[in-house]
Amino acid sequence: MADLTRRTLLTAAVPLAAAPAVAAAPAFAPVVPGRQLVFPRDHGAHPEFRTEWWYITGWLEENGAPLGFQVTFFRTRTGLGEDNPSRFAPRQVLFAHTALSDSRTGRLLHGQRIAREGFGLAEASTRDMDVVLDDWRLVRTPAGVLKTQATGEGFSLDLTLTPTQPLLLQGQEGFSRKGPRPGQASYYYSLPHLKVTGVLGRQGRRRQVRGQAWLDREWSSTLLDPSAVGWDWTGVNLDDGGALTAFRVRDARGRSLWTGGSLRTAEGRSWSAPNGAVAFDPGRTWKSPRTGAVYPVAPTVRMQTPQGERRWTLTPLFDDQELDSRPSGGPVYWEGAVRVPGGSGYLELTGYAAPLRL
Amino acid sequence: MPADPALPPTLLGWMVRGEWRANPVRTLVAVLAIAVGVALGFAVHLVNRSALAEFDSAVRSVSGSADIRIEAVTPAGFDEALYPRIARLPGLVAVSPVIEIAARTTAGDPLTVIGLDPLRASRVTPALAAASGPGSGMGFGSGSGRGVEDAVWLSPATGWRAEPGAGSATFEIREGGRRLVFPVAGGLPGVEAGRRIAVADIAAVQQKFDRVGRLTRLDVMLAPGLGPDAAAQEILAVLPPDARLVTPEAETRRTSDLSRAYRVNLGMLAMVALLTGGFLVFSAQSLSIARRRPAFALLRVLGLQRRGLFLQVLAEGASLGVLGAALGLAAGAGLAWGVLGLLGGDLGGGYFSGSQPVLEISPAWAAFHAGLGLAVAIAGSLFPALEAAGAPPAEALKAAGRSGDPERRPPLVPALVLGSVGLAAAFAPPVAGLPLFGYAAIALILAAGVAAMPWLARVMIAPLARMKAPVPVRLAAARLAGAPDQAAVALCGLVASAGLMAAMGLMVSSFRGSVDEWLVAILPADIYLRVAAAETSGLDPGLQAALAALPGVTGMESRRSLTLKLAPERPAVTLLAIPVPPGTSVPDLPWRRAPTTVGPGETPVWISEPLSRLYHLAPGDKLDLPLAGRSVRLRVAGVWRDYGRQFGALAVQRSDYVRLTGDTGANEAALTLSPDADRAEVLARVRGALPLDLAAQTEIAPAGEIRQAALKIFDRSFAVTYALEAVAVLVGVAGVAATVSAQTLARRREFGMLRHVGAGRGQILAMLALEGAFLGAVGAVAGLALGAAMGQVLIQVVNPQSFNWTMDTRWPWGLLGGLTLALTLASALTALLAGRSALSADAVRAVREDW
Amino acid sequence: MSLPAPLRIRDLSKTVPGGRVLFEGLDLDLSAGEVVAITGESGAGKSSLLNLVAGLDAPDGGEIWIGGRALSGLNEAERTRLRREQLGFVFQAFHILPHLTLAQNTALPLVLAGVEGDTALARAAELLVAVGLGGREADFPSRLSGGELQRTAIARALVHQPGLILADEPTGNLDPETADRSLALLLDAARSRGASVLLVTHSVRAAEAADRTLVLGRSGLRNPHAG
Repeated sequence: MADLTRRTLLTAAVPLAAAPAVAAAPAFAPVVPGRQLVFPRDHGAHPEFRTEWWYITGWLEENGAPLGFQVTFFRTRTGLGEDNPSRFAPRQVLFAHTALSDSRTGRLLHGQRIAREGFGLAEASTRDMDVVLDDWRLVRTPAGVLKTQATGEGFSLDLTLTPTQPLLLQGQEGFSRKGPRPGQASYYYSLPHLKVTGVLGRQGRRRQVRGQAWLDREWSSTLLDPSAVGWDWTGVNLDDGGALTAFRVRDARGRSLWTGGSLRTAEGRSWSAPNGAVAFDPGRTWKSPRTGAVYPVAPTVRMQTPQGERRWTLTPLFDDQELDSRPSGGPVYWEGAVRVPGGSGYLELTGYAAPLRL
Repeated sequence: MPADPALPPTLLGWMVRGEWRANPVRTLVAVLAIAVGVALGFAVHLVNRSALAEFDSAVRSVSGSADIRIEAVTPAGFDEALYPRIARLPGLVAVSPVIEIAARTTAGDPLTVIGLDPLRASRVTPALAAASGPGSGMGFGSGSGRGVEDAVWLSPATGWRAEPGAGSATFEIREGGRRLVFPVAGGLPGVEAGRRIAVADIAAVQQKFDRVGRLTRLDVMLAPGLGPDAAAQEILAVLPPDARLVTPEAETRRTSDLSRAYRVNLGMLAMVALLTGGFLVFSAQSLSIARRRPAFALLRVLGLQRRGLFLQVLAEGASLGVLGAALGLAAGAGLAWGVLGLLGGDLGGGYFSGSQPVLEISPAWAAFHAGLGLAVAIAGSLFPALEAAGAPPAEALKAAGRSGDPERRPPLVPALVLGSVGLAAAFAPPVAGLPLFGYAAIALILAAGVAAMPWLARVMIAPLARMKAPVPVRLAAARLAGAPDQAAVALCGLVASAGLMAAMGLMVSSFRGSVDEWLVAILPADIYLRVAAAETSGLDPGLQAALAALPGVTGMESRRSLTLKLAPERPAVTLLAIPVPPGTSVPDLPWRRAPTTVGPGETPVWISEPLSRLYHLAPGDKLDLPLAGRSVRLRVAGVWRDYGRQFGALAVQRSDYVRLTGDTGANEAALTLSPDADRAEVLARVRGALPLDLAAQTEIAPAGEIRQAALKIFDRSFAVTYALEAVAVLVGVAGVAATVSAQTLARRREFGMLRHVGAGRGQILAMLALEGAFLGAVGAVAGLALGAAMGQVLIQVVNPQSFNWTMDTRWPWGLLGGLTLALTLASALTALLAGRSALSADAVRAVREDW
Repeated sequence: MSLPAPLRIRDLSKTVPGGRVLFEGLDLDLSAGEVVAITGESGAGKSSLLNLVAGLDAPDGGEIWIGGRALSGLNEAERTRLRREQLGFVFQAFHILPHLTLAQNTALPLVLAGVEGDTALARAAELLVAVGLGGREADFPSRLSGGELQRTAIARALVHQPGLILADEPTGNLDPETADRSLALLLDAARSRGASVLLVTHSVRAAEAADRTLVLGRSGLRNPHAG
């Protein structure tokens, strides 16, 4: 459910969207089932929708030591300044996050960028994947290889991500329900098992790194269900070539309001989990010394597949992968590298420090 | 046996306490003299410092932690395409685009509208784009808003207050004939008190104020380790002529330059007041020591060492200094507080508008001013102390007072040397833009005058003694002629303060006369019209034609006046686009020298005197002017007098301006009326011809009214100077009162003798009054002569070097005559009062005591 | 070994700036507790002699020893110190400082010698009692008569127990009755404390109260009764 985190970040971080109840609300494009996703066009931005993101998470190996990393770009249509002739009109805002999980550091290193779209300084192409935000970039070459650059506190990433598998369309051919109401949905596809090569700069030293990553692409115009307080999400590259996606939306009492996910085998057989087919059993918890929030950092994901129930117990790379994005207007959440027996991926836990406001 | 102490502390305590108990008034006057000097110096310093600190923080909160800034040279701004070009340069961490607009509130107060991209500004100018807590995100400030994309956030000084439960508030802003109503989103608590600022989204400001595509500023934060100089190279390569690079150093220099000359002048005046205090201490101590000569001699006979006596006198002076300094610091802080509250940081000079700085007191500077007061008090006691210690005790024990040999001519050489050095200093160039040598010249001339007093007192008093006159007159003259050194000492403080008053009077009178003449020259028409805060809009050509066609109007000149920067580290200058009268080739300006002609194909520009001096330009020089986004080469064709724009002004022919910029608008107009037109009626017609919005921010006034208003502002800005001078003169007169009364009391024996030999009480009083009058007159005449010299230094050296303008000398005969009369009368009166109290004592017994 | 004489003068000469010789070859010896009166015509140089003895003026020839120390061998600071320690002064014009109390005036020699204020004032109070001004310590001189002023001066001259008191016309400003009483007080007090007194006066009555009377002339001091 990375999408919901991201949307909340957007609404909280973009000042001009601080009041979504603008009298003349613009007509955001609706998410409807049955729309055929077209590539490379749908790799690019969809400015008529309210929110959109390019979300890369993965594992790197630096001198044999494992590292988790995240590079994510967001786009939001604010609904503001739609008829303002100024090139500064804040119609679209781009922002981006990066984080590095190093067990030797024991906490997340991160970085961020935010800007309103325009002047070539912050742009998201509508033809193919090409997002620029100051000195950060995510671009897809004609050969289909992704290249990204980002910098954070004391580190920089310059990575090449090469797809090794076809696109994974989530939900019904890319139409993914997020809540009990029909409109609560997004267009959603993933690129698991991206082969990563590139350079990790750390305190002035540049090292070659390699690893494996996951791209989530999602765009939507709808809001989270009002009774939701947070969600859990995970995406795991299985060592046998399979790909696991699972999420659930929680209410204030910790019950699942909605669940979803998918499981694709190495051979490419894909199965989409209907609502109710996914469960997160809490397992061990970790309490943040900074915020006091208690996170189930090692949950067990259960999935009722047609072949019977599958279980994956997630183990974090280390416990303290909490990200406090309040200084930039975002929420406090946990976004960390996790292992499962026979796989590695990312886990996202939101709404544990405080209910997410929308 | 105890060790041999140079000055036993017990003795010092007894003597100081005894002297204060015996002569509280005289002691108080000396203390006050020091206190006044310290208070004035400290107050001026505090006001300056607070104003500067306020200035600095104003600059900081608006430009934040920007390492360098790129600024438009004119309020019209530069093309926003520069923004991405700069933002893409390597080594820049953040670039925040800003559009700033000078507008007004509905009340007519100046208001700065700042358009920001909060996402960019949050890194550079957090005070304006402050995240005031979790949840408000990267918003502008506090408060929750609706429709925030075109709402404004307001600083406290705008008068807007958040009222809980109130409906959606709105705020009206006026600019260039527009009235714009904005919803209010919240307050700007990060902006310091006194600054009227409205912040809105950059896109909204561009749209609402019709500035789409324009920016006025880019705030740039550099990567760590990248110096402004290195970045400047890259930036300068892409900078268009209508934008300039400004580093914070240059900015701070510019803002402090704004009022530096004014502040330094006030500070120097305060120092001079302190110096006058020093002369008064000298005068008071000299007389006090002369009076106590036998007492000191007794102490020497009883075993006080020579060095001990020297220290004793010095310590007495120091005790006056300590008290005076303490009193002065308190008074200075109070004065500064009052001045800041009443007049603002510029003492009414009009340099920093719309702000109320906070008083800032630094212990180090307080100590500095206290130390200065103490040093002056000790220096004033130095000569008396040396004299007391040098006197042979056996003789001093017998003679009550040594008045010097009337036949001996005191040396004039030291005074002549001081005067010559002072004269030479007057011809030295300014130091760092300040007339430091000019002030040195004034101090030296003052010192020369005081040094010449013993000689001068003899020269001026001797003829009096030979007059045929009634007995009291001859007695008074003889008494003064017989004790010229005492007269000279009594005159020190008086001459110093009278001289300073006369010098300032002469300077201000010359300045005011020249300004008055200038006002007449620059306001030849009957009615003037000015649209405020409308440098890029105002009167369009249609409106100009409509105004010119009004009944009763026989002529009209439209002008465009706007500000632009010629050098990044200097304050903006004013550009006037003015018409040239038909049949001539030069406009009507108060020419300093006859204007020259320019070559064919060249565009003439006429520069003001301050601009000519500040930028070292003379007729015939080239001048590149940033106009309408490009650099235009002009030829300087003349220099005109200008007292209105200290940082410089230039005039170009309006047709040239229109050709170069395409701007046919105007924000000023001069209307000439037909002789038989009813002025009030025409004024009403002009007002009626303006659209409502424009009329609200347009000032229309007859030339006479403007002239009066200008002179009123002039007088107000000099009111502080007058007040300072008046205090100095009061201290001077108090000094005369103290010295005359001291002498009178010391001369009780002399009066007793006179009574014994048959002089009437009335005759003695008349003699005393005449003595005082003689003293006052001599002091005033000497002071005026000295003041004339110092005034010329102020006019010919200090003013041109401080403010870059010249003026013609005009003698304030009334003031000088009045000053002479007042000093004479005041001295006579104080002498009379002192004499009455002296004569009330038993004169006969006074004689018996020591005869 | 007996104590050195309080005052010994040999072959002293003094000429005034005009060139007039005041005296030449003047010799004088004072023994401890002895009171010697010096008379002479106005301008004979009586006050000048006192100034020379006090070290306030330098002779043109000869030598003065005070308590055995030769003045010619002392610099100004040492002479000042000698005055402070060995000499007491009584003047015709009293020279009581008007803005100090009687006790403060009396205590001046002690304070000048570095004695702490309260100690000095206590000693001064004792002396004031001795001269009949007990209880008036805190009074200011303006409230005193001439006789009282001179008694204060006498207290001041004795407070630091000097070996020699120089008195310059101490009765000149007093009426005869007060003059007698003041002089008696001075001499009694000096004698009882073992101090010698060199008394310059042209009052015959004053001279009679002395142990010896000498007349100052151009050739020095002579006994008025010896030819």
